[in-house]
Amino acid sequence: MEHCDVLVVGGGAAGMAAACAAANCGATVVLAEREDALGGVLPQCLHHGFGLVQFGADLTGAEYARRVVAELADTPVRILAGTTVLSVHPDHSALLSGAKTGLFRLTFRQLVLASGCRETPVGALPVVGTRPAGIFTAGEAQRLVNLEGRRVGNTIVILGGGDIGLVMAQQLTRNGCRVAAVVEQRAFCGGQPRHQKACFEQLGIPLLLRATVTEVHGRGRVSAVTVRHLDTGAEEILPCDTLLTAVGLVPERELLRPLGTPLPGWVHLCGNCEHVHRIVDTVTAQGEAAGHTAALQIGQTFNAQSEL
Amino acid sequence: MERYDVLVLGGGVLGCFAARHLTRWGFHTALLEGREDLCTGTTRANTAIVYTGCDTPPGTLKTRLCVEANRTFDDLCAQLGVPFARPGSLMVSCGPRAQRVLERKLRQGQENGVPGLRLLSGAEARAMEPGLTEEVTGALYAPGTGTVNPWELGLAAGENAAANGCTIILNAQVTALFSDGPDWGAETARGTFRARAVVNCCGLYADQVQELVAEPSVRIFPGKAEYLVLDDTVDHAPRHILFHEPEEKGKGLTVVPTVEGKLLLGPSEGPGADKDDWSTTARGLDFLRTWTARVLPELDLSQTIRSFGAIRPNPFYVYPEGETWVREEKSIHNFTIQNPRPRFWSFLGIKTPGLTCADGLGRYVAGLVAEELGRKEPNPAFDPVRTPPVRVKELSFEARAALIRQNPAYGKILCRCGEITEGEVLDAIARGAVTLDGVKRRAGTGLGRCQGSVCAGKVMALLSRELKVPVENLRRDGPGTNWLGGNDRGTL
Repeated sequence: MEHCDVLVVGGGAAGMAAACAAANCGATVVLAEREDALGGVLPQCLHHGFGLVQFGADLTGAEYARRVVAELADTPVRILAGTTVLSVHPDHSALLSGAKTGLFRLTFRQLVLASGCRETPVGALPVVGTRPAGIFTAGEAQRLVNLEGRRVGNTIVILGGGDIGLVMAQQLTRNGCRVAAVVEQRAFCGGQPRHQKACFEQLGIPLLLRATVTEVHGRGRVSAVTVRHLDTGAEEILPCDTLLTAVGLVPERELLRPLGTPLPGWVHLCGNCEHVHRIVDTVTAQGEAAGHTAALQIGQTFNAQSEL
Repeated sequence: MERYDVLVLGGGVLGCFAARHLTRWGFHTALLEGREDLCTGTTRANTAIVYTGCDTPPGTLKTRLCVEANRTFDDLCAQLGVPFARPGSLMVSCGPRAQRVLERKLRQGQENGVPGLRLLSGAEARAMEPGLTEEVTGALYAPGTGTVNPWELGLAAGENAAANGCTIILNAQVTALFSDGPDWGAETARGTFRARAVVNCCGLYADQVQELVAEPSVRIFPGKAEYLVLDDTVDHAPRHILFHEPEEKGKGLTVVPTVEGKLLLGPSEGPGADKDDWSTTARGLDFLRTWTARVLPELDLSQTIRSFGAIRPNPFYVYPEGETWVREEKSIHNFTIQNPRPRFWSFLGIKTPGLTCADGLGRYVAGLVAEELGRKEPNPAFDPVRTPPVRVKELSFEARAALIRQNPAYGKILCRCGEITEGEVLDAIARGAVTLDGVKRRAGTGLGRCQGSVCAGKVMALLSRELKVPVENLRRDGPGTNWLGGNDRGTL
């Protein structure tokens, strides 16, 4: 059975940083990424604002990913792209599956979980009405638009005024779609000031604060949504053919369930599966720290064994 | 123009089983479905329960078919390669009125021949199901109650019918029916089809289809039902199917741990707006949440991943009053199978336990057709066994590794929530899926906690490649459900 010192689950910013750091400390590292390409969510981020801390440069997410992938290529990390970690077990083993690698077990000494987060789908929200075509999570829409060149819709309502919602609002507007409104439950918009300025001052996208989407209309495709104004209780119907949900990210930690709580000391979480970060630079930093810690623990084990 | 022995109208779970049993009699059968795929109507939104037969009075067709179906459901699912679980059910009461209902159902069930029924005290019920509220005063335990995925069962029956010679014609909604000598003719967008007999399994629309050839006698009025689905990671999930009999008269809560490992809460019950109104309402979902909090107080509803609406085909006898038809006050309780014209049968408003009895109803109507058409012997070549799709997740390590070596697509995980591979999606497409939800209903993609936001694009790309259709033209499920919204208006 294959063995490594450190198994890193996830090849986004956190996982790549962790793998690099652990390998640079001398650990043997396997990095498993379920997609065929490394980078996680970064390659679909074509907007700027990445790397100001790490690289002192204002990069797009895709550019940031390219730099990190290049750094990773200079290390002896064994990269398994297109390979999914199906399960991890208390006996320091994992089950993996990939089209090229087949099904195999791997043993490891330290585990770095860098599996990112997932978006909350509309089904999890208290939104009633129909479930027509034309409802996407913002990240799903971003991938379709930026990586596959698709057009998700014409007239779009975005639920959630955080960064992801605002990034998509700008981009869809520039692509010729009409963003009918960004709907934000809070009394303020949580997105970064530059995104707010671009959306609401430069592009003139309507922002509805203290409001939420309560109902979806349309039998084939979305035809409208009901927006409720939380302070007055008043409702209005906004015609649209697409609803994007950008309302919260959930860390992906289901893989750890078989390990119980509290987690064993050989498990290290980093990146958005640990907590959702606002910028990628802190993800990278946390990934590096996790990689170091994992490698350090192996060193300590070595030392303890040699002292015995 | 090809002439068939029998036309089955409607490709829901009932139509698929009717077709299956007609091929069992060796009839040259065609199944006409109005939509682009099978099992897209009421079959796709159902409580997924295989009932025991405690709920209906002795001596009715419903009771006879239900008890028989429950007894043989393992065999049926083994033949069709469909997952089936028999967790058993607890019908729980929280007071004297509900307790009397339990006792009545126990007597009725015993009279109907339902095995293993047992009345439990509140403490015994809570020992079996620790998440139940302390208010529980008693429970009727029915070890035979099971659960099956309704669309998996229907699609399996459709595949088995096709494998035994039934021709399945999609996008063939019937617009007119005519009788021509000994034959019936059905006009559709796909042409005119002729046959000696017709079996109408059009679900919500069965009354309208029957009225193409007969005076109204039964009309179907839609009722609304709503559900919540909780993720398979939810703590304190009950292991049994629960029926809550409320102390106040009216609808209680039903909870089903499904074969996929999810928890299904519902249905609510309300009047439906029309036969195409699949929407959910705040009232319905609040009903489910309120009852769940009372019956299963520990259950974490923040683990909800989906809510959906369903439509019930409620049949009512109607009678003429002047120019219009007026319905009777109460809906028809028994299964309604009519034969208004020679060699023309209709299933009208088959509700609970219609899923349980689908195979039995198919067998029953095929028997009527066989008798009418003078068919004495079933088809000896009929093969009741369907080759099921591979469910990679359930294979042993060795079998799975070998399968991936043979076909690497079974190594590529496409839907991570359900651990479903590209190979399984390709198999679903080969078995007839043409939409995103068609793949979902066959392979199980998009049923998990991300609700397809990660895999939908990948499934669509495979559908596009395999069917040679641009992604822009692909639909989620049914007419007007174009997945991408831009190109159809020429605005790119």
